[in-house]
Amino acid sequence: MLAPPLLNRTTMIDPVFQSDNYLLARKLLDASVVRQEAIASNIANADTPGYRRLDVAPDFAAQLRTRLEAGKLAESTSLKPTVVEDLSARSVRPDGNSVEMETELLAMNRNGVEYDFLVEVVSRNIKQMKMAISGRAS
Amino acid sequence: MNIISGIDITASALNAQKTRLDIVAQNIANAQTTRGPNGLPYQRKTVTFETELIRHEAGSTSTSSGRALQSVRIGMIKDDKAKGERVYDPQHPDAAVDGYVEMPNVNMAYEMVDLMTASRAYEANLSVVKNARQMALKALEIGK
Amino acid sequence: MSLIGSVSSLQNPLLAQLNAPTRTDSPTGPVKLPGIALPGTESTAIQPGGFGKVFEQMISSVSAKDADAKAITRDVLLGKNDQVHQSMIAMQEASVAFQLMVEVRNKVVESYQELMRMPV
Repeated sequence: MLAPPLLNRTTMIDPVFQSDNYLLARKLLDASVVRQEAIASNIANADTPGYRRLDVAPDFAAQLRTRLEAGKLAESTSLKPTVVEDLSARSVRPDGNSVEMETELLAMNRNGVEYDFLVEVVSRNIKQMKMAISGRAS
Repeated sequence: MNIISGIDITASALNAQKTRLDIVAQNIANAQTTRGPNGLPYQRKTVTFETELIRHEAGSTSTSSGRALQSVRIGMIKDDKAKGERVYDPQHPDAAVDGYVEMPNVNMAYEMVDLMTASRAYEANLSVVKNARQMALKALEIGK
Repeated sequence: MSLIGSVSSLQNPLLAQLNAPTRTDSPTGPVKLPGIALPGTESTAIQPGGFGKVFEQMISSVSAKDADAKAITRDVLLGKNDQVHQSMIAMQEASVAFQLMVEVRNKVVESYQELMRMPV
């Protein structure tokens, strides 16, 4: 009995880029960039009366995990991180502004390291693929 | 080419904080001005910030956030109408008949705190730019 | 018994052996190589032109990845998209896919040439 020939798969290239870690890292990388935009907006509006702090929608991570556990990460092209008001932030000023400079700077630092890590994960996967194909280390 | 994402708002915030610093400096410089061009003592100026939403053209994917990009600016610069201290100094050229001089309503301690807050906000926005640039440069190294 | 038929039917069994190596020293009867018709048995060959189809699909997926990368990069160049990391990743993926295709082509050509050099 022949093993299912390669003809049965729709393509030969895509499985190479469908490993869970790689896809997860790509999605989280998108989220990290969006978070940076939200933090930039927060710091810029630290003195605007009535401004509420923004962050990446919390259900993005939850949805990502559900997709991962269901094994359907590869089809998640529609799952995009969005910026929403952070409902758990409390007002720090009587005018309703909910931005704390220390929180924002800390969040920016943490996000920066997260971003570096995710870039490294993605980069490693790609470099490994190149190495496997060409048989040479660079 | 919009290659560093998410910092358009930071440029406007830097401008706004710089204006605020200028106003505070003006207040401090005029803390002793008992007679301005209109004959009255100097009135302290305050600034208010406001956010302005920038609408993008339909179909543009300029930012990946769910909201249209915001920008910050100084809403208005208005006079603080509170009366300043009245100091008894009959020798002062601007003293009234009862010997009291009406001083500007500039409280030095308050202005210094404002100065520091504005400086810190300015520096925070600068660090946002630095961070965003670093992230963009790191992205250019993917796969290399 | 046509153990060595035309060249095309020789390609198929080689690929089939790559997919599912079968034991060729069976003690129970005549050697049954997949894809080669033994007298009196049905042919179990893969459909003809098998490898050509695989290569076609690889080419179409490489060009799809390439088109994707071009579209994202065009948007970044025009300022319509500021996600520079997406553009970098798409370009790298397209380049890796292309590299894979080129290496496969090289190996196929190499093995074909090796085959042609074989003394009959």
